[in-house]
Amino acid sequence: MSGDLVQILEGNTFVVSDRNGDIEASPTDATGLFSFDTRFLSKWVLTIDGERLNALSTDDLQYFETRFFLVPGTGTVYIDAKLSVIRQRVVGQGFSEQLAILNHDDKAVALEVRLEAASDFADLFEVKDALKKKGTYSSRAERGRLVLGYKRETFERETWITASAPAKIDPNGLTFKVRVPAHGQWTTDLQVTTANAGWGANNAAPQKRRPSMARGLDKWIQKAPRLECDSDSLRATYHRSLVDLAALRFSTRTMPGRSLPAAGLPWFMTMFGRDSIFTSLQALPFTPELAATTLLALGERQGSRVDDFRDEDPGRILHELRYGELTAFEERPHSPYYGCADATPLYVVLLDEYERWTGDTKLVRGLEQEARAALNWIDEYADLQGNGYVSYRRRNEQTGLENQCWKDSWDSISYRDGTLPGFPRATCELQGYAYDAKVRGARLARKVWHDPELADRLEAEAADLKRRFNRDFWVEDEGYFAIALDVDGRQVDALTSNNGHLLWSGIVDKSKAKAVASHLLGKRLYSGWGVRTLAEGEGRYNPIGYHVGTVWPFDNSFIAWGLRRYGFKEEAARLASGILDAAQFFDGRLPEAFGGYPREMTRYPVQYPTACSPQAWSTGAPLLLLRTMLGLEPHGDHLIVDPALPRGIGHLELLDIPGRWGRIDAFGRGRVDVERK
Amino acid sequence: MAADPTGTFFEALAKRAHEPLLQGASGTLRWDLRNGRRTDHWYVTIAKGGVEVSRANAPADAVVRADKALFDGLATGRVNAMAALLRGAMEGDGDLGLVMSFQRLFPAPPRSVYARRIR
Repeated sequence: MSGDLVQILEGNTFVVSDRNGDIEASPTDATGLFSFDTRFLSKWVLTIDGERLNALSTDDLQYFETRFFLVPGTGTVYIDAKLSVIRQRVVGQGFSEQLAILNHDDKAVALEVRLEAASDFADLFEVKDALKKKGTYSSRAERGRLVLGYKRETFERETWITASAPAKIDPNGLTFKVRVPAHGQWTTDLQVTTANAGWGANNAAPQKRRPSMARGLDKWIQKAPRLECDSDSLRATYHRSLVDLAALRFSTRTMPGRSLPAAGLPWFMTMFGRDSIFTSLQALPFTPELAATTLLALGERQGSRVDDFRDEDPGRILHELRYGELTAFEERPHSPYYGCADATPLYVVLLDEYERWTGDTKLVRGLEQEARAALNWIDEYADLQGNGYVSYRRRNEQTGLENQCWKDSWDSISYRDGTLPGFPRATCELQGYAYDAKVRGARLARKVWHDPELADRLEAEAADLKRRFNRDFWVEDEGYFAIALDVDGRQVDALTSNNGHLLWSGIVDKSKAKAVASHLLGKRLYSGWGVRTLAEGEGRYNPIGYHVGTVWPFDNSFIAWGLRRYGFKEEAARLASGILDAAQFFDGRLPEAFGGYPREMTRYPVQYPTACSPQAWSTGAPLLLLRTMLGLEPHGDHLIVDPALPRGIGHLELLDIPGRWGRIDAFGRGRVDVERK
Repeated sequence: MAADPTGTFFEALAKRAHEPLLQGASGTLRWDLRNGRRTDHWYVTIAKGGVEVSRANAPADAVVRADKALFDGLATGRVNAMAALLRGAMEGDGDLGLVMSFQRLFPAPPRSVYARRIR
């Protein structure tokens, strides 16, 4: 996002405006008030006596609240500094804005205050692609409010605008004739409400404003474990992660009062199977309720039929859910869209990990059918080639996704020489997730669902998958796992960070783990900040290529977990240290990705430009790294703490870690020398 | 296509003693289907995967209103329920979760292909 734009949000409602607080969107310009993937205001411009205002300063008070300090006049020289204007905006269902005009003169002043308002009701997808609207617009003043409307068949969206002070309302805005006494002020409260037709949308009474949002944030932070440590920057990063995670919370209409992590702010404030699951896994030791809601919400929308347009199958976990007009009229498949191959096995992984931490067997019993359907999907629907491996190929060739793994750009899966394989593609990490899902599914079947037969079968299948995988994906002469098998069963043999996810899943033979770990921390993959997505020296390697050379903090957090799983404590600490060092350069807010340049070359991490910040799974990365550094692992009703901390961190305490043990504290001291050897 | 896909759908549903897709849901869902000048009411009561279909008046946890023609589309897989909800072709009040569970019962779109056949 450009630095000149101010954004605030609550759930999936957000406002992007300029530094004056004004909104003047063009069809392709992404400013406005958005809710449920629809723009509800594309124009919101304040003038006094016909003049625009000039920003003195803008305060982002909270992620849901901003204050703009303005003066009349638009030039660099203030024509009249005897007035100042304050707009304080809070996002709720729409937003509320308190407008205050202060007269610093010793004479009263008469002013005409005007707010121009309009909406193009663009779908978020239209904002990106500049598509033409098919419905009709309306704008009318009625019963003391301005109503902006859009209607296409049964699809109706409205924006309601009211003011607490008397106003003359016309179809283009509100005008106030005001008199501000000497050294006095005039204020009005403006309320902009987004009204969706459809379910329960006799939205006649807007939900009451929530003055408690600030309190809610305090409570959220107090509920999380407390971090005490010598490292100021780690404390700051931890705090930043918790606040950003709060901002990324997203509620669905079926589960008011509960929230799950959305993928990114602001354009991805919706449910994504993969992102919501990975983030919930990262945050599990800190805020386990996110995982519970993720499991329930994704389970509720689990695929139930074969639908090519949505790439849906029975048992499949969704990729992305959207609410806008294009989705409503099936011009886009996001109602929801199911085209991803990893969320389904990862769903079972999260379910098991959640139970291991929380002991919440009630939830796991309640989701037994969903988990069984997910496990069934792996064998019944994901084995596209009949070779016992999960692979993907989209059936929706117009608007579906080509790459259904987390490295979803067009060139992310390549041979060493840079050529690209055809479809279907069986990427390696998918096999790891499938293996882990079977192992964990077996544990749940035995312990919670009391179905030892299923447990035996899953264990046998997992063992068989592991044996085949270690034979078929192992690049013998180099000592790592190929990123994929192509249609002919040939290895797509580039060296990638995916090897770390394989460690995390447990699919790697013990005898091969050391070679894999050496590659991950070796010069070709490890930049000094973190593990690159693709190794230096490969045909497509590019240090600023999205999935072909950049370093992803989320990726690294799972690689660190994988290293710990195979006993490589010091290597995990080294990885954690690099990523947490990088976080300092971004004020504790790790970006989605940064450049894969060697650390000694750039000395600071070069940010990869992306539209969304914070990104949920980057926000979760420091949390998972804390877990791996402290070596936190549930064991029965106990929590094992086995710290291996980088020396630079010094003393570290994580207090009140929630779980089946109640609350427990973990302590550690940095002893691992992480300097590159 | 059957002459009355909606009627056929509910009759088939009534014959199912147990429906695993509804395992997690419970409650009564009422469909108000506008059919010319009259409105047909269908009640579906779900409890632990068991389903009962009735036309007798009863209290409902969720009410969905739509044209019968739309439901004919849902019952034959030609219309997607979640998209219909988003565009207001289906509307209602009450426990939306119940509707989300129920929509799993609608069949696949006619032309979709079982994944394994694309090998």
